[in-house]
Amino acid sequence: MEEKKNPRVVVFGLASCFGCQLQITNQEDHLMEVVGQLDIVHWQMTSSVPCPEEYDVAVIEGAVVNEEAAELVRDIRSKAAVVIAIGACATTAGIPGMAAADHVGKQAIQYPDGVPEASGVPIPPRAVSDVVDVDYEVRCCPIDFWEFVDVLEAALLGSNRRPFTRTMCGDCKRNETSCFYNKGQICLGLVTTAGCHARCVNLGRPCNGCRGLSPDASLEGARLAVERYGLSVADFDKALEMFNQTNPMYQEYIAAHREG
Amino acid sequence: MAITKINVDHIARIEGHGNVHLVIKDGKLESVEMNVVEAVRFFEAMVAGRSFRESSYVCSRVCGICSPTHVVTDLQAIERIFDVEVSERTKLLRQLLIYGSYLQNHASHLFVFAVPDFIGQPSVFPLADIDPALFEQALGLKRLGNDLCTVVGGRSIHPITAVVGGFTSEPARDEYLRLADAMEAQIPFAEAVVDLFNSFAVTEFETRGDLLATVEPGGYPVQSSNTLRFLQAGEEFDSNDRDEHIQEYKVEHSGAYFSKVKSSGRNYMTSALTRINASWDNLSKRAKIAAAKAGLRPPELNPMRNNVAQAVELVDALERCIGYCRELAATYEPGASLPVPYEVKAGRAIGVTEAPRGVAFHGMELDDEGRIVRASIMTPTCQNLANIEDDIRVLASKLLAEGVSEDFIRLEVEKLIRAYDPCLSCSVH
Repeated sequence: MEEKKNPRVVVFGLASCFGCQLQITNQEDHLMEVVGQLDIVHWQMTSSVPCPEEYDVAVIEGAVVNEEAAELVRDIRSKAAVVIAIGACATTAGIPGMAAADHVGKQAIQYPDGVPEASGVPIPPRAVSDVVDVDYEVRCCPIDFWEFVDVLEAALLGSNRRPFTRTMCGDCKRNETSCFYNKGQICLGLVTTAGCHARCVNLGRPCNGCRGLSPDASLEGARLAVERYGLSVADFDKALEMFNQTNPMYQEYIAAHREG
Repeated sequence: MAITKINVDHIARIEGHGNVHLVIKDGKLESVEMNVVEAVRFFEAMVAGRSFRESSYVCSRVCGICSPTHVVTDLQAIERIFDVEVSERTKLLRQLLIYGSYLQNHASHLFVFAVPDFIGQPSVFPLADIDPALFEQALGLKRLGNDLCTVVGGRSIHPITAVVGGFTSEPARDEYLRLADAMEAQIPFAEAVVDLFNSFAVTEFETRGDLLATVEPGGYPVQSSNTLRFLQAGEEFDSNDRDEHIQEYKVEHSGAYFSKVKSSGRNYMTSALTRINASWDNLSKRAKIAAAKAGLRPPELNPMRNNVAQAVELVDALERCIGYCRELAATYEPGASLPVPYEVKAGRAIGVTEAPRGVAFHGMELDDEGRIVRASIMTPTCQNLANIEDDIRVLASKLLAEGVSEDFIRLEVEKLIRAYDPCLSCSVH
């Protein structure tokens, strides 16, 4: 019988906290089961083996924040059959994405004498999927390991499961958790893509929106709800920046209200 | 005239991206550059204008592996501005969160990042075949650290429950007892890890830099003291006065700012090794015995011995956390760690903790609505970079004089860098 070849996988980290790669290595009980079914040919964080020219699957963490990273991502895309973006930074530009607004001004605050050459040529942060086509996404900040395994499985073996598009708000109804709006606190579950089972809310903390805006969300409706509860619309808009700054849906919404 | 260059591009098995370049002229070391090629994410600029409530959530994202310390450091700066006195229970829970990150970080660093150098492998994965028992036990220790952070913080990376004034949620009583038992069972292995890392031969040399750690009478502080000391200069200061004692400066070859002692211009180290140098007397009982057995006593100035220091801190963390967990279970009371009430006001403060890799500072200035006017974050790695460069100078000069091969020098330089457990991604933030 011909020996089955494991898919050749590379893992890259762009601008990020490396937390999503750590989420993978942190699954001590199952790490080897997963890694053992792959041929990991390059993973800078865990191994000194340099990146080969050929591979099948590329896993990318982090946002694209300089010209060099944009070039690297395009190169990866040209070589990999499958590209998987993991984490909020890679899928929504995440927390680094906040720096997209007034990018030049932010550079001056942090480096009054200019950004050091070693940091490359800064560009307004973007999600990996804003630079190249991405085949699969694993959302959240940081990712959930099991969701990563599900996506990996879909990428390697195929799956008819579609990614979640509904908002997270419904999860709290199912979990029978009380609503933060009743306590006078803004929660972004109202407009954020579901899929995390409301992890933060279950622990007593409102959603900060790390999965990014749901395509089904109504930002206008949410704004009315915020007003109805007597909360600050400005605070709601500000909170949305955290994981949606570069999302066209958010930008259109903000532009509409700026004009109005 | 013969010029040789030793380059390590993409230093592996560290967090983040860096290169190191050595230029050797006629057998003498000409220059050393530690090149931090991380992209800037502009955290300090990004949090400006945001509410204090979002601050620790955002700043946690500076670094995944030490996120619990970034959260606690940030909360401390804000609580100092608001004059919040948190409950004893909250203090204990924060200790657990920090120590959880120590166990997780030290076990990851020692086994995933450092050990391959000493067993001649490119990564830790072959260890699963070479020594499955050791591999399993090492993973077990790392798992325990993650478990501790998950139980207390809701997740091992970017804790959810820690907020200004307390915790939004607490685990069930039995969880503490389960953790205490699990930690008790791990102590013998942690002691063996000290012996294991002590058995690895390292090049003998001493850092020329000063050493920085937080200090506390009779204690081994990780998040309970605002007092810092430069051990060599004997210079003591409050974290709020950081900028009078530490100078940050920009170099073109690094995205991260470098740091030096302001009064002397000397570079310095901050790490597990500096903590042990500062507070050896106050190590937990079994940790002190393990350290003594390994010959690790102050003054210990070989930065390569930071690996052994981290191993000693594994024993120390386990022993302390067993006590904390038993206490938290014995005094269990639902809601006791919920955030205490506080009043928002304007002010300026600098929070400080001992991250697994050394001292971390979060400076915060708030307006009277609690919006961030200015933030200034200094991670341990930023502070270590100038010292790492200087140590490479000392180490490489010594090895060149001994006439060893270029490959040997390259590996030793890599081992030295990894011994610092640098997190380049969080040094550029």
